Amino acid sequence: METWRLVTTWNAQPAFNLGLDEALLESQGAPVTVRFYSWKPGALSLGYFQKFAEVPAAQDARAVVRRFTGGGAIHHQRELTFSIAAELEHPLYRGSIPESYVRVHAAVARALATLGVTAELRGERALASEREGTGMCFHKSSPLDLVWGERKGVGSAQRRTRGRVLHHGSIKLGTTPLEGDIATLEHVAPGLQPESFAPALRAAFEEEFGVRLEAGVPDALERGRAKELAERFLDPQFLRRR
Amino acid sequence: MRPNDRKYAQSHEWVKIDGDVAIVGITDFAVQELSNGNESDLVYCDLPEAGRTLAAGETFGEIESVKAVSDLYAPIAGEVLETNAAIEDHLEILSKDPWGAGWIIKMKPERKSLEGLMDAAEYEKFVASKKH
Repeated sequence: METWRLVTTWNAQPAFNLGLDEALLESQGAPVTVRFYSWKPGALSLGYFQKFAEVPAAQDARAVVRRFTGGGAIHHQRELTFSIAAELEHPLYRGSIPESYVRVHAAVARALATLGVTAELRGERALASEREGTGMCFHKSSPLDLVWGERKGVGSAQRRTRGRVLHHGSIKLGTTPLEGDIATLEHVAPGLQPESFAPALRAAFEEEFGVRLEAGVPDALERGRAKELAERFLDPQFLRRR
Repeated sequence: MRPNDRKYAQSHEWVKIDGDVAIVGITDFAVQELSNGNESDLVYCDLPEAGRTLAAGETFGEIESVKAVSDLYAPIAGEVLETNAAIEDHLEILSKDPWGAGWIIKMKPERKSLEGLMDAAEYEKFVASKKH
C-alpha cells in the first residue's frame, strides 16, 4: 500500500501556510503530501489573478494575502483547509483537470458523509449561494464544486507547475461574515473545530485513495524554501500586483 | 493530424520558425486539458514583457482556467519580441485557433535549430500516451 505524508499545522500564520504549500508544490521527488491546516489570524486570501479592487472585502480586512492558486477570495475562518501536492503523473492527478477534481472531491464527500452530509458535484444545477460582485470563491461556482443544501460548501483550486500539482481545498465548518449563507457543517456539528474533523478526513482519504497517511513534517529543504516563499506572501507589492 | 510546419514540446507548447522569428503557442491538447472543452473556462493569462530573455524550458507566462493556474514554458531559448495582446482579453481565441490567431509570443531565437523538440507525428504519439 502506498504511503503518503500527512503534515498538520493548526492555527498557522497566513504567509506560512501559503509558503509551505508552495514549497511542497516545488518539492520534486517528495512523497505525496497532504496538509491539514487552519489559519490564525483568519485571513482573507485572494486568488492569484484577482484584482485587489474587485474584492470589496479586501479593502478593510485586517489580514489579506494573495494565493498562488486561482479562483476567488476565501475567508479562512471556521474551516479546515487541506492541500495535496503530488506529481502530475501520479494517478491522483493524471489525466484532465476535471478528472482530478472528481477524485479529490469523492474523498471529501466521503468524509462529509460521516457527519450525515450528502455532498455532490454541482453539475448544472443553480445554487442559492451565488452572489454577484463580491469576488468571493463561495459566491461563484463551477460544475465541479462540491455542494449540499443547494449551496457551495468546499472552495478549491489547483496550481500546476514543473510536472507537479497542488490542490487546495477549504471545507467550511461554519459560516463567516464575509461569506454568509453558504453550505457549512454547522447544522450537523455545531461548533466543530478543524482538529476534530481532521480524523474523518484522514480516514476518508485513506479509504478513497487506498493509501496510508503517515504523520510527518517537511524536511529541512522544504522548511527553508517555505520560509523564503513566505516572504513573498508578506510583500504588499505581491498582494497588490493586480 | 496536427500541423507539420512546427515542433512540439512535452509541456505542450509549439514553436514555428517564420524567417528570423519563432512563433510560440500552446497546442489544442493543452487548451483542451485547461478548459475541458469550454472556451469560457480560460479566464486569465500573464504574458512576458518584450525584451525578456528566456532559457529553453523557462516559465514565460501563466494561464488560469476555472479550476487551475498553469505555467507556460519557452520551448526554445531566445528573446521575447512581441506578445499577442489580443488573447489577454479574449482567451477563447486559444480554443478557436490554437495554431494561428492563438499564438502567444514571438521570439528572436538564440538558435534556429529546433533539435530536441518533437515533430507532429512524435507529438501525436506523446499525446496518445497521456490519454492512457
